[in-house]
Amino acid sequence: MGRSYFVDEAVEEYLVGIQTAPGSCVTGLLAGQSSPQRDFVVLAVQTPHRESEGQPKASRGVSPLDDIDVEWVTEHAKQVSRMLPGGLCILGLFLVTPPELSKDAQNALKRLIFAMDKYITKGRLWELSEEDVTDQVTLHICSKTKKTVCKTFDVKDPKSSAKPADWKYQTGVSSSWPMLSCSVAVDVQIPMTGSSSDITDKCMKDGLRRWAKQIEAACCLINGRHALDDSELVSGQKKNPKTTHRQTLPARIFVSDEQAELDERSSALVQLCSGSVKVRGVVHCRAYIHNNKPKARHAAQAIKRDIINTVCSRVEMFLEDLLINEGSHKGLCSGQQALPRRVFAPVPVSGLSVCDYMFPDESTADVAERLKEMLDCKTPEEDIDTSLEGNQLFSNVCGSEITESPSDDSSKHVFSEVQTENPKNQKAPQYYAGVAITAAVALLATATSLLYFNE
Amino acid sequence: MVYSEECDFIFRLKGILEFACQLDNPNGVQSQSTISKSFQDLRSKVTSKNIVFTVCNSPVLIWPNTGFQSSVESLTEASACGDILQWIESDDGGSKKSSKKKDKKKSGPTVVNMKLLFEVTEPAGNTAPSLIRVSTQQHCVKMPLPLDCALSVTTDERLETVCTGLVEALNKQLADMEEVVLQYRKGSSFLVPQPFHFQLPEPAGLITVVYPAGVPDSQLQAVREDLHRKFELPCDRPYLRRANAFHFPDAAYKDGYLRNPHIHLNPPNIEDAKLYLVQGVYSYHHYMQDHVDDNGWGCAYRSLQTICSWFQQQGYVETAVPTHTQIQQALVDVGDKEPRFVGSRQWIGSIEVQAVLNQLLGVTSKIMFVSQGSELATKGRELANHFQTEGTPVMIGGGVLAHTILGVVWSENTGQIRFLILDPHYTGGEDLQTITDKGWCGWKGPEFWDQNAYYNLCLPQRPKSI
Repeated sequence: MGRSYFVDEAVEEYLVGIQTAPGSCVTGLLAGQSSPQRDFVVLAVQTPHRESEGQPKASRGVSPLDDIDVEWVTEHAKQVSRMLPGGLCILGLFLVTPPELSKDAQNALKRLIFAMDKYITKGRLWELSEEDVTDQVTLHICSKTKKTVCKTFDVKDPKSSAKPADWKYQTGVSSSWPMLSCSVAVDVQIPMTGSSSDITDKCMKDGLRRWAKQIEAACCLINGRHALDDSELVSGQKKNPKTTHRQTLPARIFVSDEQAELDERSSALVQLCSGSVKVRGVVHCRAYIHNNKPKARHAAQAIKRDIINTVCSRVEMFLEDLLINEGSHKGLCSGQQALPRRVFAPVPVSGLSVCDYMFPDESTADVAERLKEMLDCKTPEEDIDTSLEGNQLFSNVCGSEITESPSDDSSKHVFSEVQTENPKNQKAPQYYAGVAITAAVALLATATSLLYFNE
Repeated sequence: MVYSEECDFIFRLKGILEFACQLDNPNGVQSQSTISKSFQDLRSKVTSKNIVFTVCNSPVLIWPNTGFQSSVESLTEASACGDILQWIESDDGGSKKSSKKKDKKKSGPTVVNMKLLFEVTEPAGNTAPSLIRVSTQQHCVKMPLPLDCALSVTTDERLETVCTGLVEALNKQLADMEEVVLQYRKGSSFLVPQPFHFQLPEPAGLITVVYPAGVPDSQLQAVREDLHRKFELPCDRPYLRRANAFHFPDAAYKDGYLRNPHIHLNPPNIEDAKLYLVQGVYSYHHYMQDHVDDNGWGCAYRSLQTICSWFQQQGYVETAVPTHTQIQQALVDVGDKEPRFVGSRQWIGSIEVQAVLNQLLGVTSKIMFVSQGSELATKGRELANHFQTEGTPVMIGGGVLAHTILGVVWSENTGQIRFLILDPHYTGGEDLQTITDKGWCGWKGPEFWDQNAYYNLCLPQRPKSI
């Protein structure tokens, strides 16, 4: 009695079409949505080729399986998970091997799946609920026969063993999935108790986590109706296989400033801070929900998690980028700096949206490049929608004038010295796997992510 | 807006708003204006289009500042506020009705609970986020403000008027809170301003006062004196101590004791007689409560506890209702008993009750002596006067029993009298139905008393204080 995976035919096509050099293996990600009863796979992406400087590494192990670059696979998974809107997430991995390696494939998959889950969930600002499915799927494909073996592991249980699962192909798995969407005003004030990068990052994380809890606890209306208890999500759309129109359901979120642990106090919480950071602006959020009798509260949870993830991701990206460009001694400078803004693009065939984040000095060409590399999909630049989040209209120079912040004491602000060189003038090296980057820098990015958002 | 005790509804809006500000120098002159500015921002927030009232236990959401919009089509600005009831799911729909007795008095206004929320979607602009960093050394102050506004209205009041009234009340409460915060601030030490509701005699009705958390009532005397003057309240009894706060009809008492079980009884219909009852609120204390097995010896202690609970709930004292041990210790402390009295099961009488009330609560009492139980029927005038002027519960001990008298029905002309008795000998649970049905709280005639025994009554006197 294992899990059932309903897989889109487009994924089948993709998997079948994967080219492998003789004797070697190909890894990749599977993405989609889990629900308590069944799981849906809508996307498969093979791990991009890692360009390394100089000579190719000599084979370490006895078999090509040992050569699988776990760090690279997990880094790719992290990047892809940032590109998935709410409701969609990495569901597992696939591994294509030549027939002679099929026996050992399961062990390799097990290693990979646990490492990947651990890496992706680090730094996440929301907790899994009891209803969340913690199984990840591993799919082994024999490069010669194209035969597939599908198993699942419970990644929250280190002792979990492989359980058999069903893998069924279907047409248009996600074609009628409604899409929830909303724009959310974010205004989070985070006090900084120190100025070193470590402290800055910890304060940011704590401050964002407080905000994330408010969002999680918020009241949610979907399409005008409360998303409470066990009521079914009413999308008002009849299940008509002929319609290709995907319904968009507006979501509305209502928060309260309640924080249980603070409310019992009889006096204010006062901290002496060396400064503060405000995250302010509007984020555009999307989430998909399957249409197999979904519950309204699961839909609400999906859009809320997207709201939290998108803010968290762009702050992470910004800090990672800062580290690479300026080194750890600089940290955040005073003034206003734009966070990367979110853009959306459709995935071919299924039409689901994926997203990416554009730094102020980037263009849709850069986005298209990343989509090709990370998601292995060719998206024409004109299909990339940059209109959902507005451009921040100011020069991104350190020490620039701060926009009026109501609660701050007015006049005296210490500006750090204005940089003579705008760090953003040079094209920022891609901070994740990319054509231009060397393996070493990419490794640094990995280490950085591990460092800053470490528990 | 009608402020009368005949109001059908109380709309209560609660919510937390976080007060936050950054102070460069908490002791500097600038800090006051910074704090005021933060409060000003909060007032803007509650008058903005983003605030939403959600009605608890219902799907109803109301946007009060957008020309009244609600999430339920049938509720419009013209709707009477009573219409909201059909949308509210009550927790115990059935059982509430069954506990209503035919002779139960009007149970008071219906409370509609609402929560204050802020919409973060549908923003005005769509500029993507930035990080704004300030590098000055600052004191970051954060304080959750526990907003709590209440409006008394009649059924036909328009819902829109109620919501506008609540927004106004929020604004006023923020202004009151600002005043309290500024008044009690010491540098970077801020006290949380807490709202309390009080039901005052007409025409004031239901009002809200903001007090600083942690400052005891004893230090707020001057504030109360001002308010007593403002609302023309008598200067000799408390109305505005925290203990006097209005108890909302739908709220359960956390300590589990029954309050005023006598209100569920109909007084006897005696020709030409008037009703004289205990004033205010007391808790029913009786045998076996608090895991103390005092069956057979603790009746006077329980009556004393009932009296202490009255003084606590009218705001005269802040001390908790004393335990048997504490009562006994008090008697040892005043020299009335030997130390081995503590922990014993010895009875006490009216004199001891008087001594303990004095020792633990600072309350004086009058003692009335009656040489024969039959004489009690002639004490109508004294008891009527007592309930009219003091209105405190009376402890009566005699024969082998102690009871509490909560009131009398007495005719000046015919001398006919009935006594409202609260019996501490009850050993069951806090079941109102049993207590009233079986007469553990009930009206008795003069034959109730042992006609031959002598009785002492302890009549506690209200201290003159606010």
